[in-house]
Order: sequence, then structure tokens, then C-alpha cells
Amino acid sequence: MAEKLIPVVCPYCGVGCRLYIRAVDGYPVNIEYAEDLEGISNENGKLCPKGNAVLEYILAKDRLKKPLKAKEQGKFVEISWSEAIKEVAERLKAYAKDDPNQLMFFGSARTFNEPNYLIQKLARMLGTNNVDHCARLCHAPTVSGLKQVFGAGAMTNTYKDIEEADVIFIIGHNYAETHPVGFRYVLKAKERGAKVIVADPRFTRTAWFADIFLQHYPGTDIALINGLIHVIIKEKLYDAKFVRERCVGFDEVVKAVEKFTPEYVEKITGVPAELIVEAARTFATAGKGVITWAMGLTQHTHGHDNVRLLGTLSAICGYQGREGCGCAPMRGQNNVQGACDMAALPNVFPGYQAVTDPEKRKFFEEFWGVELSGEVGLTVIEAAHAIDKGKVKAYYVMGENPVISDANANHVIKALQKLEFMVVQDIVPTPTLEFADIVLPAAALLENEGSLTNTERRVQWSFAAVKPPGEARPDWWILSEVGKAVGFDRDGSKGFRYNEAADVLREINACTPQYRGITPERLKANLAGIHWPCPSEDHPGTRVLYKERFLTPDGKAHLAAVDYRGPVELPDEEYPFILTTMRYVGHYHTITMTGRSEALVKRWPEPLAEIHPDDAAKLGIKTGDWIKIETRRGVYAIKARVTRAVKKGVIAVPWHWGANVLTNDALDPVAKIPETKACACRVTKISEKEACEIMKKLPNPIPQIEIVKG
Amino acid sequence: MARKTIFIDFSKCIECRACEVACEREHNGMSFINVFEWQEMAAMALNCRHCEKAPCVEVCPTNALYRDDDGAVILAPQKCIGCLMCGIVCPFGIPELDLINKIMGKCDLCAHRRKEGKEPACVATCPTDALIYGDFDEIQRERREKFTEKAIEVAKKAEKISLLGV
Ligand code: SF4
Ligand code: SF4
Ligand code: SF4
Repeated sequence: MAEKLIPVVCPYCGVGCRLYIRAVDGYPVNIEYAEDLEGISNENGKLCPKGNAVLEYILAKDRLKKPLKAKEQGKFVEISWSEAIKEVAERLKAYAKDDPNQLMFFGSARTFNEPNYLIQKLARMLGTNNVDHCARLCHAPTVSGLKQVFGAGAMTNTYKDIEEADVIFIIGHNYAETHPVGFRYVLKAKERGAKVIVADPRFTRTAWFADIFLQHYPGTDIALINGLIHVIIKEKLYDAKFVRERCVGFDEVVKAVEKFTPEYVEKITGVPAELIVEAARTFATAGKGVITWAMGLTQHTHGHDNVRLLGTLSAICGYQGREGCGCAPMRGQNNVQGACDMAALPNVFPGYQAVTDPEKRKFFEEFWGVELSGEVGLTVIEAAHAIDKGKVKAYYVMGENPVISDANANHVIKALQKLEFMVVQDIVPTPTLEFADIVLPAAALLENEGSLTNTERRVQWSFAAVKPPGEARPDWWILSEVGKAVGFDRDGSKGFRYNEAADVLREINACTPQYRGITPERLKANLAGIHWPCPSEDHPGTRVLYKERFLTPDGKAHLAAVDYRGPVELPDEEYPFILTTMRYVGHYHTITMTGRSEALVKRWPEPLAEIHPDDAAKLGIKTGDWIKIETRRGVYAIKARVTRAVKKGVIAVPWHWGANVLTNDALDPVAKIPETKACACRVTKISEKEACEIMKKLPNPIPQIEIVKG
Repeated sequence: MARKTIFIDFSKCIECRACEVACEREHNGMSFINVFEWQEMAAMALNCRHCEKAPCVEVCPTNALYRDDDGAVILAPQKCIGCLMCGIVCPFGIPELDLINKIMGKCDLCAHRRKEGKEPACVATCPTDALIYGDFDEIQRERREKFTEKAIEVAKKAEKISLLGV
């Protein structure tokens, strides 16, 4: 009985913290901080509360332990692995024979690169590009927006650069709460004398540390950023040499921001004009600047343009291609970057190679040995609408929970009910799983091994520390079994025969240019990981992108000239408030994991809707009262918290518990992200009884499924 | 005797409560550090200060409270009678009654971790370094040095400006 310390990567946010699991024969005893590892993203092994509680959800009593088949909705019988795999493969094959585009696949930002690679390979080999994952709902605009400006959709720099910056502009991102360990680098910079500018509709914990705080209305980001650019251009604070040599489109920007005087921007955003001027000067003259953002900025119908404007702001100040500078989108889940790199996306092959590019398609046709579709597939939200039209009939969902995570959740639920066939591969019952026909029990992250790519493009290997419960199996194993059963049982890259996760990574090395030198051997030997791009095995990896040229065809940054657009739904007489969503530090995504952790639930037991004291007084609401929030799409009951953290006229609700029944699924035209962060709503005080009535009709985030005999 | 302690820098606490979860994990589900929010503007974690003249040690009728080699104030559970005296005299209200065992519980500066040469769990995890474990005198000296450095920097800047004739 030897106790072992096994190095893993935290299964939660995109910081990608390292920790050790202390385990005896595959049974976890405790965790230990990785204080002895140099160069990891969580310096000295620091962890946030979720990281400290990682063992709790793994040991949850309701883990899925056997494959299940539905008798009726929510009622399942246990079946064997071979039956489950056979049924899944046969159904997939049948739909693919008819028309592969009837199938939709969901990758997952919460599992390794290898299964994400395999699920898109399966989709594509079956003949469809209908594959997407929840990055669509968080950072799709980051990927599309940065790609247009700089040529690639990833963070341009690393945590080290945040630490070395002289000014950090944080917008639409409650950094301290979403990524406490990443926020460490902001505080370290501040201690060195860096200035921190925070723009957020809420006075967040991040705003506590702001030197300049810009509290704008939800959805007015374009005006705010254009306002900053306006001042920087007017006062000639931009980096003229950088603009001349490395950017195109500056004249258009000058024209576009002309009307965004600080006074005009004040009218739209509610931010005092002097503060806009001060922020612009502080940002542009600092010398080295980083911009960081997350969902507050991206989840809008103009998310794509928001990101392009941030890229533009960064470029005109010359804050690209240098240490201590850059654009740092912060990813929510630990493998959002990896799932995107592996192409769990409808428009690209691994390594962002467009499916519409005949040359790239030819490469993959030879590599996988099948004919491939050159037609861009469906995104998450589009797929839900395609079910209505009878176009999509079957879902394969790996580690996803659209019932809670998608905007306008009521519509998603209706769509799932209409599906003919749904496979859910997960570790615990989710409200989405209730609609499944076949359930495949997966091993949790700490129970299997593979590579993960964090926010800063750092690829790390996580080892298996704990035995999976019952018959739960690693995601890569399940997909490889399904792939073989479908008929792809050739060796090498042309089939699905794999002995271990490392085999899959070797295949990834062979077809993904950015990952070419990131071999399993190197990762296992170097626990701090490697930043992609890493073109060869002797390459050390890349900290700062775009030192010489951008990845656009002409090598220049393409600056964005954008006119103001606000949220598509504005407050009116019927729905007088603006609703926005937020999150708590102790919870993660749709609480499938954190909701099963006692230490976290104890501290963050329930959602509270934030409302300004003046609004609350008008409606007769006190902290702790039940309120009903209504939008054009749904009704939600929640307790109120009266606080000055939100502006007058704004209501903020945490989304973990299913508040997406309220939110708007209007899409950004380019990034196809729904407008989760701003919509019109009305608020009324209700009794506890009424609240219970409303909540009964909502999906339960932690459902109990029934397992019946025979 | 070295005077080891946990220094708390309120200005850096982000109220993430990682310290609470860590302490709870290391102490069978009880956390001996608590994080408070002030007026929605700042937060502060508070645990036992291991006071130099610890009132809890002084009032304890059974000598259940004592000081270990690092200067930490430790509670010996087998001697505690749950009279609550320590909880009442502690200016920070730190010792708490463990409702199941009817004896007191308090921060032991993670004695089991110190034995292995490791830092207390709350300190090891604090993402912002709001908690620092160390020798009291050393921490104090470091603070003074940092302050002096800053003062010198400011002075240098001022000098540069005056040299430029601004
Ligand atoms: S871990 Fe540190 S930052 Fe977080 S609440 Fe505790 S003292 Fe504050
Ligand atoms: S319990 Fe209270 S009185 Fe005793 S050492 Fe700790 S802080 Fe001081
Ligand atoms: S030193 Fe140990 S016992 Fe004391 S508060 Fe911190 S974690 Fe808890």
C-alpha cells in the first residue's frame, strides 16, 4: 500500500493549475500543492476554492457507473458496454447513410484534447462537419474576432506578460472571481506599479482593485471602446510607427471613431466623460499594456465586433508582439483552447485549417482515408433550430449540458424532446441527460490521462490518479470503441484503433502544425508544459505571438472600424430592466461538478439576484425576498440581494442554476454566439409559495434519474 | 523560540475563500479561518493570531491550550472540557465549540503540515499571497524594506524631474 503523489491538471477553469493527488492504489486520500514545480501557470502551486475541493465531485454518490438505455424520458435500464456501443454505432451509421448532416456532435471543453480530436474525427469521417462545443457560448467571438484582426484566435501572450505589463485593461471580466489564480498576476503587476483599468456593469471584486473603474451599461461596449480609441487618436497617443509599419485600415478607424467623443460616449454608456479620457491616456501612455476579457464582452450580438475593437485598441498602442503586452482572453473551462485547437468546431480541421479550403481538405482526406465534406457545419444554437426544421435528428453529446448552458433554455428543451436519438457521455446525471436514449458513463478528468491546453496556449499532460467508479471509461476509449464499431477499424490515422491516449496525441502531432513538436513523451517529462505553436520536437514553444508579423495573409493587423450597436433587446415599458448574468467564484459552469461538492455548496448555496437599492425601494424588495424575473422567453424565481454593485436599472443573476431560461438567443452574425449578457426584463416581488411553483417547472440542475429493472 | 505567524494583507484578499476550503479539507470538515466582506468594498480573512500574550492560554482552567515550538497556540483536545472561556476572552472570537465532541477547536497553524516542513494549508493555497507564513520579525523587516524602497523610488523620480528642469 504505497501512497503516491500523482501530478494532474485541475479540472476546472482555464488557468490550468497543477496539483498533486495523494492516492493509495487508485483511491484518493488528499491533495497536495505543486509547490515544487517550476514554471507552471499556478506559481507555488496556488489553488482557488474549486481546486481545493477537486476530490469531492469525483466521490459523488450519483456518479454514472454503467451504460444506460432509456425506457422512457428520465427512466433507464442498465446495459452492457458492448450493447451500448453496438446500438450507438448502428444508429449513427443509419443516419449517416441517409444524410450525415442529420447528425450533430458536441465536443467538450472539460475533457482532454484527445477525445475532442476523436469526436470531430468521427463526425467528419461519417461525412458531416456538424460538430461544435460550448466555446460557442463563451469565446466564439474571441476566436473569430482575433482571427480577423491578427490572423489567429488565441491569446497572444502568457501570464508572464500580464505580470510584466504596466497597464492592464480588464473588460467584461470579473477576473478575481472567475480566475483567482490568474488574477494573482494582475496583483503582482499592480504591486510593481502597473495601473489597472476595469470596465464592467457591476462593481465586482475585480473592480475593488481598479485604479480606474468604468461602470458602463450592459451591451454598450462598442461605444466605450470606440470612445477610448477616439481619445487616443485625438490626442495622438497611439504608436504611429507601429500603425504605419504593421497595421492596415487606420484611416477607416479614424473616421469611424470621429463621433465617439467622450461626451457622446457618456450618454450611451453612463460612464463620466472625464473617466473615459483618463482611462484612454493611462492605457495608451503606459509603455506596455495587456487587455483581458471574458464573457461579459463576448456574449453579445456584437461580441465579434467587441473583440475586433479590443484588438484594434491594442494594436494602435503598439501593444503586440512584445513581452509584457498583448490580448488575453480568459477561458472559463480548462480545455476551451484545446477543444478549439482540436477542431470541435464546424468550420475547421485541427489547427484551424478551414474545411472550405480544398488543399487542407485533400490533406485530411488522405490522412483519414475517407472523403470529407467541404460544407461548414452547424453551431450549437443553429443545431437546436435545425431540429425544429427536421434537419437534425440525432445528437452525440460528450460532457455538455445545453439545457442549462444555452441561451433561451426553454427552446433547447423543446428541441431535445423532438430529437429521434441522443447519446450522452458524461460523469454524472445532468438535466440534458434526462433526454438521452443512451448514456455512456465516462471517467472524470482525474481518473484518466491526456493533454489539456490552457488559456495561454500551454499544453500540459495530466496523469490518471484515481480509479474510475464502476464501469466508467475514459472518453478516448469510448470514442475509439464507437469509431471501430461504426466500421473505421483500420490502423494508424485511418481508423480508430488506439491503445492509449498518447497514441491519439501522436496522431494530433502529425496533422496539427501548431502541435507538431508537442509529443506525449515531451509533455510527460516536462510538467510545466509547452506553449504552442511548437513546430518541431526541438522547439521550446512560443510565449509571445506576432513578433515579426501577424498571421493574416498580408502579415498586418487588420484594424476594425465599427459603428455602435447596442443590445438587440432594450428596456421598454413592459420590460423596464436590463438583465445581465454573472458567476460565483465557488461554482463552475452548470454546477454539475461544483454542485456535488459539499465545501462549495455550503459557501455558495443559492443564486441571488443583484438589484440596486433605489430600484429595490420602488418595488418594495429587501435582501432575501423572493422575486420573479420575466423576459419574453421565460420566467425565473430567485431571492434578491440589494446592492450598489449594480447600476440602477440593471439586474444581475448568476447563471449556474439555470437562469438561461430568461436570456436571449439572438445571435452574433459572425461568431454565432447568443446575447446572454443583456436583455430586457421585468421584476416583481412574490411569495415563497409562488416561487416554489415557478421553480418546479424549471429543470433541476442536479437531477435524480431513475434506474429501473429489465 | 521563533515566533512564526500568518501575516494577513487585507488589501490583497479577493474573498475567494480558498483558504477556508483548504483549512476545512485539512481539518475534518471544520474551517478555522473565516473570510468577511466589508461594505462590498473589501474582504478580509481572519484566523487565530497566535497572540504573544494569548488570553486564551491564560484563562484555560485545564491548561488545554499551550504553545508549541514554532510559537503556535495549540489546543490539546483530551484536556479540553468545553467551558468556552477561551472563546469568550479571545478578542477575535477565534476558538469555536465543536458541536459534536463538545470541545473547542481552533487554528493549529497546521501542525501536521509544519511537521513535514510545509506551509499551513491556507497560506499555501492563497492565490493572491494575502496570507504569508513566516517569522514575525522577518515579515516586519521585509515590510519596512519594501516601504523604504518605494520611498527611495519616489525620491529618485522627483530628482529626475528636477534635473530635467520640469
Ligand atoms: S485565499 Fe487568500 S484571497 Fe482568498 S479569501 Fe483567503 S485570504 Fe482572501
Ligand atoms: S485564540 Fe484568540 S486569544 Fe488565543 S492566540 Fe488565537 S487569537 Fe489570540
Ligand atoms: S493555519 Fe491551518 S489551521 Fe490555521 S487557519 Fe490556516 S489552514 Fe486553518
